[in-house]
Amino acid sequence: MWRNLLALRQISRRTISTASRRQIENRVAEKQKLFQEDNGIPVHLKGGVMDVLLYKITMGIAVLGTGYALYELTVASLPKKQK
Amino acid sequence: MAHQAHSYHMVDPSPWPIFGAAAALLTTSGLIMWFHYSSMYLLTLGLLSMLLVMLQWWRDVVREGTFQGHHTPTVQKGLRYGMILFITSEAFFFLGFFWAFFHSSLAPTPELGGLWPPTGIKPLNPLEVPLLNTAILLASGVTVTWAHHSITEGNRKQAIHALTLTILLGFYFTALQAMEYHEASFSIADGVYGSTFFVATGFHGLHVIIGSSFLTVCLLRLIKFHFTSNHHFGFEAAAWYWHFVDVIWLFLYMTIYWWGS
Repeated sequence: MWRNLLALRQISRRTISTASRRQIENRVAEKQKLFQEDNGIPVHLKGGVMDVLLYKITMGIAVLGTGYALYELTVASLPKKQK
Repeated sequence: MAHQAHSYHMVDPSPWPIFGAAAALLTTSGLIMWFHYSSMYLLTLGLLSMLLVMLQWWRDVVREGTFQGHHTPTVQKGLRYGMILFITSEAFFFLGFFWAFFHSSLAPTPELGGLWPPTGIKPLNPLEVPLLNTAILLASGVTVTWAHHSITEGNRKQAIHALTLTILLGFYFTALQAMEYHEASFSIADGVYGSTFFVATGFHGLHVIIGSSFLTVCLLRLIKFHFTSNHHFGFEAAAWYWHFVDVIWLFLYMTIYWWGS
């Protein structure tokens, strides 16, 4: 009788899930903690190393691309050599 | 840590506006290089940097709202105004193309044969694929509204199903339009009929793709528990945009496809 009661206690505490095995968990609280940390890092870099990498790649393309665009503009505006 | 005595959002310094401007420069000058010098390097850099800026800027907005809590009711009101103003500006954008269509089709010149559709043009049958596409977009308007109600009622599973269905309908529309474009007997180079048809429907198709992408991002955020039953503005903005895209199609269908055939 007592053992049955203990078993019942165990079963009643089991998480009820009718979903298939792979289930997404709510991880928003972890993200909130990460992005609210008082470390002075601006939001566009606050996510970690990937943020910094992506920022550097974007900056690289923007700066080098602008330079290339200005170069092409200069070349296009110079008179073509006539033979 | 200093606390603000107001309900507005003073954003962190961000590089995305200026990188976005650089991306616009690269894209426009890239188009010139492509058109006049057959070189696609600059255009590729432009489109790539535009994509990177959009991803990171909007990622930061999600962080600021969902993870940092900056989107107070005051801030949300501003975001609502912003989205409405943006959609209004897009409506004016399409108005221009409708103006061009009516300019040419209401008084067809002798060069066109004095009639519309012009001589030699075999328009698409409005009662075939275009009608199906109309039904698809109208249905997607229903499913996105269903998704919204599911979100406000806290029904996660139904919301995910309804939003997924909306996105699938959007893809179906795009696939059918692509097929229609391929099968059409006329091209963009076929006089003013071709120009007005493909530029108007082409920009609309681009907006369907943009809307589908926006909805897909919302689906991912919905699955990751970002939305609550009374705070889900990102989804509402996507739904407004989607309804706008639907309305533009209805005008396109009634004027260019139906009246113009």
